[in-house]
Amino acid sequence: MEQQKRASQLSASTIGRAVRRRQTEAVRRLHLTLAPGLLLGLTVVSEVAAVLLGWNLTSRFNTVMYAFSAVVMAGAGALIAARHPRNPIGWLFCGNALFSALLGDAALRWGLRAAAEGWPGGAVGEWLATTSWLPNGLGWILTFLLFPDGHLPGRRWGMVAWAGALGLVLAVPGWSLSPGAGSEFVSGRNPLAVEALPTDALFSVGMTLFLGALVASAASLMVRFRQSTGDERQQLKWFVAAAAFASVALSTTAVLWYVTPGIEVLAATAVTALSLAASVAILRYRLYDIDVIVDRTVVYGTVTGLLAATYGLTTLILGTSLGAGSGWVTAAATLVVAVAFRPLRDRVQDVVDRRFHRARYQAMRRMADFLEALRAGRAAPEEVQGVLRELTGDPRLELLVLLPESQLYVDVNGVPEADPPDGQRERLDVERAGRPLGRVLHDTATQEDLILLRSLIESGGLAIEIARLHVELRRQLAEVQASRARIVNAGTEERRRLERDLHDGAQQRLVSIGLALRHAQHQLGTSKVEYATRTLDEAMVEVKMAIDELRELARGLPPAQLDAGLAPAFLDLARRASVPVEVTAPRERFDRGIEGAAYFIGCEGLTNAVKHAQATSISLSARREDDRLVVTVIDDGIGGAEPAPGSGLSGLTDRVAALGGALRIDSRPGAGTTLTAELPCGS
Amino acid sequence: MRVVIAEDQVLLRAGLGRLFADGGHDVVASLGDADALPAAVSTTNPDLVVVDIRMPPTFTDEGARAARELKQLHPKLGVLVLSQHIETTHTIDLIPLAGFGYLLKDRVLEVDDFLSAAERVARGGSALDPHVVATLLSGRRSDDPLAALTDRERTVLQLMAEGLTNTGIAKRLHLSERTIEAHVRHLLTKLNMPESEDDHRRVLAVLAHMSATQP
Repeated sequence: MEQQKRASQLSASTIGRAVRRRQTEAVRRLHLTLAPGLLLGLTVVSEVAAVLLGWNLTSRFNTVMYAFSAVVMAGAGALIAARHPRNPIGWLFCGNALFSALLGDAALRWGLRAAAEGWPGGAVGEWLATTSWLPNGLGWILTFLLFPDGHLPGRRWGMVAWAGALGLVLAVPGWSLSPGAGSEFVSGRNPLAVEALPTDALFSVGMTLFLGALVASAASLMVRFRQSTGDERQQLKWFVAAAAFASVALSTTAVLWYVTPGIEVLAATAVTALSLAASVAILRYRLYDIDVIVDRTVVYGTVTGLLAATYGLTTLILGTSLGAGSGWVTAAATLVVAVAFRPLRDRVQDVVDRRFHRARYQAMRRMADFLEALRAGRAAPEEVQGVLRELTGDPRLELLVLLPESQLYVDVNGVPEADPPDGQRERLDVERAGRPLGRVLHDTATQEDLILLRSLIESGGLAIEIARLHVELRRQLAEVQASRARIVNAGTEERRRLERDLHDGAQQRLVSIGLALRHAQHQLGTSKVEYATRTLDEAMVEVKMAIDELRELARGLPPAQLDAGLAPAFLDLARRASVPVEVTAPRERFDRGIEGAAYFIGCEGLTNAVKHAQATSISLSARREDDRLVVTVIDDGIGGAEPAPGSGLSGLTDRVAALGGALRIDSRPGAGTTLTAELPCGS
Repeated sequence: MRVVIAEDQVLLRAGLGRLFADGGHDVVASLGDADALPAAVSTTNPDLVVVDIRMPPTFTDEGARAARELKQLHPKLGVLVLSQHIETTHTIDLIPLAGFGYLLKDRVLEVDDFLSAAERVARGGSALDPHVVATLLSGRRSDDPLAALTDRERTVLQLMAEGLTNTGIAKRLHLSERTIEAHVRHLLTKLNMPESEDDHRRVLAVLAHMSATQP
């Protein structure tokens, strides 16, 4: 009967070895309550004990396979229970796994080992193991009825559960208290046999009800499957097939138990298929929304294993040819492992993602494709926002980048973040190499999507960084263009003013002087000679005024002295000032624009010092410092100068900025004024 | 000749007044802005109005607008616009009108030329500054008949447009009147215009063509 009992145990899925590690991660990520983890742990401990106790006493194939399958089913159950604690399916999986591990495998091996070693309590273990397959069977009936949402497909299906329970109540005493079950014990005798009970009859009736309920519960799954559509159908497909097979296989096994030796293979296959089907539904078709995180732990575990194998193999091969214990062998093996690490890890991550995270894998692939397109110049970095929207399925997702100068968050078009910021939305800060790059506003609800978003941002960091640089560049360009437009406008305005001053001032005056001269000519010719003198005097007054006006106009134009260089121009400025000016200037020539700017800085500084600061002495200097021309105007006046908008000082600031330089005004009240301009002048 | 002067610069206004007075004309009104011009013209009934193009309050085209208004009210009135510099934006539609002149202020210093130009305008003739004509002639497209003129013909056209008669042109260019007549005939043919013995009408036709095809 050991075989039949085993058949009721859980069997393994192919990913078994990874489950515990994955589980550890899942505990952290999914905020597992302690219970599913505890159940899983107990199952594992029980199976380890069972394997150790039963080693060499039963077939090794059986020992390992049943341990494996119980642990896998416990893992799947723990995942489901942690994620959906209100759904009984997870708990059923956990409970069934633990029950069969503890009362099936562990108890049986204890019984066998105790009998072999002469330890006490062996018979109790054997009795528990012999009986445990029946409650396990009820567990499967309930699982079939409630899978996958934890609800019966219809009220009347409750009858099936009751029938199974009644069958269990009858079959358990009919089986466990029967003298006929002696063959299941090492001693050949059932220690709890009760001769007085009609055990055979109880077992027959109970078993009939029980098997009927099993088949009916499998049928309920079929009904559920027929009514399902879309994803749900895909999720159910495998499990329904396995359940249908299991109900037939388990019934057949029960009926033919004594008739056909080796029938246990059928039951074992059926339960293994059930475990596999459940795993496939969960892992592949995202049943229970468990997009299982086969994360770095798994990847690194696998990589470590492969590297260890590589190391061992390399050592072996080289050891054979070079002789064992050679330092070269160790070094070479280490080198191989070191070189293999990075590509191997990427490859394993890729395989793991493709295998277990279809959605995540595809999303990451899409991001990688985008980065490739970006490198090839087929995509613009700003499109990264669209890619993130597409891959997270969040059309309102917004990427903001941080401008380092202003510490402003702006979107990819350079528009500053809404003020006040939209507090309703989730924020995720984007960093790269420890520096803040920006942030993502999103509406992502589930933990999985958030993890996906994090991964996408991490791998798309390059695109985000480039997008940020683009935005920054565009803003700076706009700033430069605006400043240039201001300068051009100022230039145009200046020209217009100059033109008007010339036309309406000096030119008009010259015309009227000409007219006066003509008039005087006329007067000379018509004997009114005495009047002509007066006319000419008037004309002379006009001439003087015209000269004054022209002199005024000439102020603000680059003087002819600048043609000879900055030093003569500065000396000329100093001579014309009404206050003593000490001049220091290099003989060296600079770019005309730089010299012009330096001249105007000197001009404006002197004007300011004389007119506003009531200075009594001024120092005007220009000197080269590396690749900069530094112009300073220092006075001993009253200080307190400020570059008011539209003033000469403000105009200077723009002029200097246009050349890529900087202007500083240090003018505390009472402490004089120091004007410092730094102009880039090349080397 | 009865003259009204509108000029905001006092000295120039006085100078112009003396110039016309010295030339034997009556200055019947002198104004500092364009606003009072129509009234002054109605009351004094002058033969000629001399107006500065830039006057208060905006110093842009007050004179030109006043000139346009006066020509609409009194088509026979001679209007001479003076300016410190040449721009045709505000005056292009006035140029082909009979009795309209447009001169740079500097021209007043050539007293005799200026006075004869003023008299010509008062008689319904034309007096355009060479700069104005040059502006009209510049920037012509290659399919424009004006582009097909020879240099000499262009010079003659320019002088015609300034308001000179064949005799005047011949004197200015030191050529015989017969030669000038031949040039005029040729250029009018090239411009597809009827020959006319009337100098005024001839000039106006040329000006109409030039301002209509102004690029």
